[in-house]
Amino acid sequence: MKFLCIDCDTAMKFKDVTRPEQGSVTAVFECPDCFTEIAMFLNPWETQMLKSLDLKLGGSGEAAQPMQMVRSQLETAKQDSMPNVSSEMGSGETAEGGKCPFTAVISDAFEEKPESEPEGPTWTPEALERLERIPSFVRPMAKMGIESFAKENGHTEITGEVMDAARGNFPAQF
Amino acid sequence: MKSYKELPDDAGSNIIGQVTAQANRLTKRLASIKRTVAIMSGKGGVGKSAVTANLATALTLAGYTVGVVDADINGPTIAKMMGVRNATLEYTSAGVKPAISSLGTKIISMDLLLSEDDAPVLWSAHTQKDAFTWRSTMEVGALREFIGDTEWGELDYLLLDLPPGSDRLPNVAELIPNLGGVIVVTIPSEVSHLIVRKSITMARDIFKVPIIGIVENMAFYACKHCGEHESLFSPEDTPDNTFQVTTLGKIPFDPKLSHCNDNGTPYIHEYPDSLASAAILEVTQKIQDFFKYY
Repeated sequence: MKFLCIDCDTAMKFKDVTRPEQGSVTAVFECPDCFTEIAMFLNPWETQMLKSLDLKLGGSGEAAQPMQMVRSQLETAKQDSMPNVSSEMGSGETAEGGKCPFTAVISDAFEEKPESEPEGPTWTPEALERLERIPSFVRPMAKMGIESFAKENGHTEITGEVMDAARGNFPAQF
Repeated sequence: MKSYKELPDDAGSNIIGQVTAQANRLTKRLASIKRTVAIMSGKGGVGKSAVTANLATALTLAGYTVGVVDADINGPTIAKMMGVRNATLEYTSAGVKPAISSLGTKIISMDLLLSEDDAPVLWSAHTQKDAFTWRSTMEVGALREFIGDTEWGELDYLLLDLPPGSDRLPNVAELIPNLGGVIVVTIPSEVSHLIVRKSITMARDIFKVPIIGIVENMAFYACKHCGEHESLFSPEDTPDNTFQVTTLGKIPFDPKLSHCNDNGTPYIHEYPDSLASAAILEVTQKIQDFFKYY
């Protein structure tokens, strides 16, 4: 993709990004002549397609790691099959490392929501223990579904009772 | 107003550069591989992976350096059949060291990366809904990395065990422009022949990939008491008549072969004097002949 400032007939440059939200990322581009800004939104499917192709908006900036797409994107992988893949690939480190921040944001969008994300219900230890009992390959989806159920029903904390209430929404037992 | 081509770059993403880098990694790896062979079928359940595993073992025993890519991303079985399922992959800056069978065959498979027996291949995504829009792309990316990022070293043969059907062949043909040839595995049944015919058309006529030949698996059953050969399926059509391509061999049904696959032991090494081993060795010899004279 390329962006043109029609008034100046000048190629726009990458400027900034917003935090990813629900799988979508927003990139801001600026005209170097008149400083007009535009925002580009990628929906979750567009974001996912880029991820599938192992491409990074803003440029990769570093040599590819062996099997980096599989190692970083396989949800059901065994842990010893992907040692330190996140740090090796630079996801999450890139902003401080001077690379194009868009790359970091795209990488963030590909990963689970950070633990420090302020919004969203918290999990009690009992609920977390039950979550751990869910088979690993469906656990992320179950977690997302339970959190979504909690939000929709006004729960700020996920307890065993909330999980029981959410259970009816899932084919898998937990 | 400037056109697309007049703008100097894509605002810094360099997508073309990234794609080119991926292609270059693959090309560099393929340069150390002399012959690539895709093993495909039309229909599932014809024993394609078992044939692949045994051909790889036979070529290894013949003194070649052999690698196997389990290209069945969602139904990987090669690691189990070749006894490397518990191997731990090692990552280096040069690539991923493949698992190595007891006889020295190098293997890469999605099975080596999955967390547990009942874990399917599930890709990270904000939602799995509408995964049809990107899942196949993920699988091709995985296959590209399996071929291009594995530290194969110098290989005489790289065998690719394709999933059932003909849909993966176009991906392989694109990833490996100099694909040496295709072996098609079938069983003597009209149902299998019907689908295999489509695979042959896809390979030979559309993607112009040489067909090395057909392997007829479970071709007959030899009575363990009297040795008489009996058909397990429809006996009328031979693969030669049906497909007009060379039949590389007819492998008889042998329960011991299935047991070896389940145990991860090399059948032709365990039972070198069996009828099935003789057929597998015949196929192996014809593969060598194909590359000698083709």
